[in-house]
Amino acid sequence: MPLQAYLVLAALVFAIGLFGVLTRKNAVGILLGIELMLNAVNVNLVAFARFRDDLAGLIFTLFTIAITVAEVAVGLAIVIVIFRVRRTIEADHLDLLRG
Amino acid sequence: MTEIVGFWVAAVVLVAASLAVVLTPNLFHAVLWLAVALVATGGVFLLLDSPFLFAVQLLLYAGGVVTIAVFAIMLTERLVGESIRQTSRFVFNGAVLAAAVFVGLLGFLLQAGAVARPAATGDQLRDLGRALVGPFAAPLQLLGVLLVIALLGALYFARTED
Amino acid sequence: MRIGSPELALLVLALPFASFLAIGLIRPLRRSGRPAAAISIVAMAGALLGAAAMSWEGIPVARALNPSVLWSWLPADGGPMASVGVWVDGMAMQMCVLVTLISLLVQVYSWSYLADEPPPSLGRYYAYQSLFAFSMLGLVLSPGFLQMFVFWELVGLCSYLLIGYWYERPEAARAAVKAFWITKLGDLGFVAGIVMLWSATGTFDFWPLFQAAESGALHVDGLTTIMFLIYLGAVGKSAQFPLHIWLPDAMEGPTPVSALIHAATMVTAGVYMVARAYPLFALVPSLLVLIAWVGAFTALLAATMACVERDIKRVLAYSTISQLGYMMAANGAGAPEAAFQHLTTHGVFKALLFLGAGIVIHHFHTNDVFRMGGLFVQRPWVGGPFLIATLALAGVWPLPGFFSKEAVLAGVLQAHLSGPFLMLILTSFLTAFYMFRVVFLAFFGHAHDHHEHPEPPLTMDAVCRALAALTLALGLRAAVAGPHAEGPVWLSWISLAWAFAGIALAWATYQAGVLDPARLSAAFAPIDFLARRRYFLDAIFAGAYRFALLSFSRVVGWIDRYVVDGVLNALSAGALRAGDTLRRVQTGQPQDYVYGVALGVLLLLVWAQLR
Repeated sequence: MPLQAYLVLAALVFAIGLFGVLTRKNAVGILLGIELMLNAVNVNLVAFARFRDDLAGLIFTLFTIAITVAEVAVGLAIVIVIFRVRRTIEADHLDLLRG
Repeated sequence: MTEIVGFWVAAVVLVAASLAVVLTPNLFHAVLWLAVALVATGGVFLLLDSPFLFAVQLLLYAGGVVTIAVFAIMLTERLVGESIRQTSRFVFNGAVLAAAVFVGLLGFLLQAGAVARPAATGDQLRDLGRALVGPFAAPLQLLGVLLVIALLGALYFARTED
Repeated sequence: MRIGSPELALLVLALPFASFLAIGLIRPLRRSGRPAAAISIVAMAGALLGAAAMSWEGIPVARALNPSVLWSWLPADGGPMASVGVWVDGMAMQMCVLVTLISLLVQVYSWSYLADEPPPSLGRYYAYQSLFAFSMLGLVLSPGFLQMFVFWELVGLCSYLLIGYWYERPEAARAAVKAFWITKLGDLGFVAGIVMLWSATGTFDFWPLFQAAESGALHVDGLTTIMFLIYLGAVGKSAQFPLHIWLPDAMEGPTPVSALIHAATMVTAGVYMVARAYPLFALVPSLLVLIAWVGAFTALLAATMACVERDIKRVLAYSTISQLGYMMAANGAGAPEAAFQHLTTHGVFKALLFLGAGIVIHHFHTNDVFRMGGLFVQRPWVGGPFLIATLALAGVWPLPGFFSKEAVLAGVLQAHLSGPFLMLILTSFLTAFYMFRVVFLAFFGHAHDHHEHPEPPLTMDAVCRALAALTLALGLRAAVAGPHAEGPVWLSWISLAWAFAGIALAWATYQAGVLDPARLSAAFAPIDFLARRRYFLDAIFAGAYRFALLSFSRVVGWIDRYVVDGVLNALSAGALRAGDTLRRVQTGQPQDYVYGVALGVLLLLVWAQLR
């Protein structure tokens, strides 16, 4: 398959993940959308690494995966704390930043 | 030939599972569908001649992340006897915007010319390992630090008040 | 034509200026009163000697010589933009003598007249007097329009300061401001005219302008308009209709000030300017006709108003306006020499009239002629000079007024201006009438009170007698030197006849009691009505001024409130409203922020695509 196929696939998954971030009410649901987006990025990176015969893309992917894992851990910890404090994790109710 | 078939299988599974992740009302089901999507991504990696990354993906993503997400859901929803429901807001707006972003990206992607797939070179794993302790040693160490920090942060947030 | 020494001219200028500086700057000197007065008088005497010497030494030269000496003042490319200097020709020298002489006599008179003033005020008075003398002399000796304008304004300032000398009196303060404003109206035209003239010809100086005018090389578009604007300055300063209304009110100042400024010197500056710039005015004969008509009309108008006045100083003020009209009519008729002649003679006997009136007022402690009477019997040496001056003003032979009036009438007649001529003849009748009305009421008839009044102070008496002697001398010299005027023989007889008719009418009405004044005024009821109310001109001016100023200030106020403040208020309100609107973007919902990011990315993609 040509490079464009993998790139289009990644773009599609990215857009779906973006849709999830924009529409989910639950905070965990939003984080799942973010997961999808990062996943799509990884696909993109590996595809480029393959088609340009460059190892850097793979390294980048490894790092991205590691960082994503860390981010998920911390993010979900925060969600748990919010739940403890406010007894809700619905995004609509978390509007403390309202101007 | 096999590559084309494999690609289409993996692609369809991935896209379907992603759609399921974002559209399922039940959050728990969404996490499970995410696991499917992550495995499909691993398959894509395999198709791109990266077995190592396929393994890493399965271990960390499909294993670790999904587990964490499940735990989080457990802790934040009242589960007993209930199924976790949630509805989405402004679905139409989100769909339009996401579609617009996809179309925008598509515009660029389709403009680029065809790129030939070069021949698969040497031992990927060995080269990867050498790179990690060679030119990319410093980022690797920093990554370690980041993981420690994340661990500490998560511990701090999740502690019980004494 | 005669030319005088510029060095003497500068000396004549410098002496009063030095006196002003000394009195003005050295505070203890000014506050001491009498010493300041002494310095001013001595400086004035020196200036008089200098002016006399300058006039004596003046050498007659051929016409083509430049009587001015200039120093450049405002530098510019291609020659100075403006120059200062002195212009010492026959007319200037005569004027210098007149100004210094009358100033000296007035200052000596003031020594006694203002003897009751506190010393600091007296010092202030003499500082103003010195400044005025310097300004008037500077005006007279100016070689160009710009310098003349500078001194013109200075003279106006001195008039304001001296009219408002007793500034605690609100009438005096108001009169001073009124004088300043009305003359300023004329000055606006004056400065506009001279600037337009400069922009057309490139110079302010008289010599090049007169040379060009006389040789016919002066081609300026709209010269009539320019000269009319310049004439407006004379209208204001020399109290021509309709800017004459400030002069009667200016009588709020001390009597010596009225004698000096509003009889002999400052008000004549307009006449002097027109006479001086006559070569330019001669190029616009239509304007000259206007000047003559306005002058004659002013003369008649003021004479009617003088007939109904009770205040002796106001009568003299209207008389001054009337005589200024005579002089301007002569200018307009193309006889500037006649105008100047009348200017000098009138300066002498009008100053005498004012100073004599000062003694009269001092004696009776009132300005109202109907409360006076019988002064001639009591004090013949006060009445004598006053009577001489009155006869001179009425135009009786052999006094100087007769000769100068005849010259004016002859000039007007020669120019075939029959309307102005008739007006001036009628005015001379009225002049004789109202002046002798005053004489009969104040000096003859029955005294209304029989208190013992003290002798008038010696200085005041002496000054009046000196002026009377001078008047007689001028008259006799003119009589002996033979007839000057080129007018027809019947003119002198007609003018004398009219004068005597006026005297006779006054005698009949006020002295012999043959005619009842009330019936006389009833016979001319409409004119009498209007004259008593000054033809409502004051009211018109005040109303127009108030209307213009108030409406302008209302407009400005509206602009300030609604435009200036409005802009600011709108800006601040707009800022507040924009802030309130923009704040709604901050919903606090994290997904909305993601919307923003996604939109931004989309825009970036579109923009990158379009590039």
